[in-house]
Amino acid sequence: MVHFKYLLWLAAGVLLPQLLGSATLMSLLTQAVIYALFALGVGILLRQCGLVSFGHAAFFGGAGYLVALLMRDLELAAGGAILLTLLALALVGFLLGLVVSRIPGIAFGMLTLAIGQTVYLSALKSRGLLGGADGLNIHWPAGIFGLDVKLFYDPASMFVISWVVMLVVIYLLDRLFRTRFGSITCAIRDNEERARFIGLHVTLPKATVYAISAVVSGLAGILSAIYTGFISPETLHWSVSGMALIMTILGGVRALWGPILGAIFYFFVKEYVGELTDYWMAMLGAVVIVIVVFAPNGISGLIEPLLSRKQELSRKQELSRKKELSRKQKPRQSVIVNRVEVRS
Amino acid sequence: MLGISIFNGLVYGSLLIICASGLAMIYGLRRVVNFAHGALYMLGAYIGYSLSLHLNFWFALLLAPLVMLLLGMLLDKLVFHPLQERDPLSVLLVTFGLLLVLEDLVRATWGRASLSIEVPELLAGSVDLFGNPTPLYRLAVIGLGVGSMVALWAWLRFARTGLYVRAASTDPLTTAMMGVNTERVNALVVGIGTALAGLAGVAAAPLLSLAPSMGADVLVDSFVVVVIGGLGSLGGALISAFLLGQVQSFGTIYLPSLSAVLPFLMMIAILIWRPSGLAGNRV
Repeated sequence: MVHFKYLLWLAAGVLLPQLLGSATLMSLLTQAVIYALFALGVGILLRQCGLVSFGHAAFFGGAGYLVALLMRDLELAAGGAILLTLLALALVGFLLGLVVSRIPGIAFGMLTLAIGQTVYLSALKSRGLLGGADGLNIHWPAGIFGLDVKLFYDPASMFVISWVVMLVVIYLLDRLFRTRFGSITCAIRDNEERARFIGLHVTLPKATVYAISAVVSGLAGILSAIYTGFISPETLHWSVSGMALIMTILGGVRALWGPILGAIFYFFVKEYVGELTDYWMAMLGAVVIVIVVFAPNGISGLIEPLLSRKQELSRKQELSRKKELSRKQKPRQSVIVNRVEVRS
Repeated sequence: MLGISIFNGLVYGSLLIICASGLAMIYGLRRVVNFAHGALYMLGAYIGYSLSLHLNFWFALLLAPLVMLLLGMLLDKLVFHPLQERDPLSVLLVTFGLLLVLEDLVRATWGRASLSIEVPELLAGSVDLFGNPTPLYRLAVIGLGVGSMVALWAWLRFARTGLYVRAASTDPLTTAMMGVNTERVNALVVGIGTALAGLAGVAAAPLLSLAPSMGADVLVDSFVVVVIGGLGSLGGALISAFLLGQVQSFGTIYLPSLSAVLPFLMMIAILIWRPSGLAGNRV
């Protein structure tokens, strides 16, 4: 049943370029899907750990740089370079995650912001190795994983490739987060202290989720680097992390497809509101505020109940039960936020 | 050479402490990490620009922070107060949205081109300081930084409202039970924090050019200052602002390849070593 749903989405993605005549719409959607994958990377960190990262552009842009370097300086084949990059991101993400995921809440956001800007400024300064502010042109070989490289440049075929990658990632993540590991991360997110009391190791799962989110963001970065054939330090800037975060918030994270929806929404606002007014960012900012205040679960949170009324009902009951529980015993989450609780 | 570095570090440190102290105060009372603070700094600079065109620089320096004070109190009433029961993360995201709105608002009003404010005539010259010719305006900025910090300290230490602020930042509930209207205190503090951002913006305008993106750099640097000093701590912010000013000014000379990254490395080290910052969290 579940697999059937994925096959349906797969067919929809393959058919879409055939149905849509417009080339501009196609390139818009291709970009949207690539960034959707990036937003998904940011989103799972928020979904499973409740952590907001302002530095994931480091993984997004960094992956592009790393692939480019591996191909240029070590003369690896494209496929090997991509796999090695993803492996490196997993390792770096995990080690970094072991350190940064100990930092709670808001300080985590600032720490990732600082790390992201460190990477951005280093790339900007490194003229010799990374091309400084000009970035790098990436010379892709004729074939990547046996696919003709032209397929990656054409919006219509690149859309299908990115779409398939995205579906596979969502499928794998969905399977993973339904396991015991997924429940453990949720337990830690909801109350870290209690999770520790019942004997769970709290840092390892968080670092693992951080590593996964780094790999997913990096995958999006690699797709983007193949599509544009180019990588610049701009992709490392914190505003790019902020953009992915906006998509994530717009779409909501309770459903895995929330960030995807958010990214598509973002690009459509950019394209169509951008045509009407130069100030589409302000509109988007206003939408972000409205969504955070009135619909904390994002667009997907608004749509989901329409899709599955029954599930929603049971989920609501579960939520109200949870709320009652937490009302009885307010958790003290951290040194930094504990004063908020005094007020409430 | 050494003297000039220290001096330039002091100038930048002064601007930073004016801006960052506002950020620290808002965090200290409201527990809000205000991502819009850089945008408010920029807005202050632009309002100062318009005022200095129509009146003169001195009026701008006085009136722009006043306008920002009112705006800040409005911000508290319309945004921070209604959201005070929400978790800090969603308030942070709301200020992030606010940042996008404010940046475009400034673009729509003043245009995309960079503008500049002339240094006022009274401070246009330079004086000899330890054998170096020193621009008077830069000296005045240091004076403004020191002056506003002394004023802020005196207000918090000796004034009745200052006492309320310190009390409310330590324990808002007990303070409210003692009959202090903490909501008014909060509004005042957010107002003053915003006014400080505006003051820094106007003071920086003759040194740097005005552009809608000017807020982002200051925001990130102010975060570094506030985090290193300890979120919400004014004393800590004061020390770390001047430290950061020196690090940047010496870094550009002696470690040019590392200078831009140094503040962030400091911040990362502090956050990992002592997540609550150098001074813990007290106003």
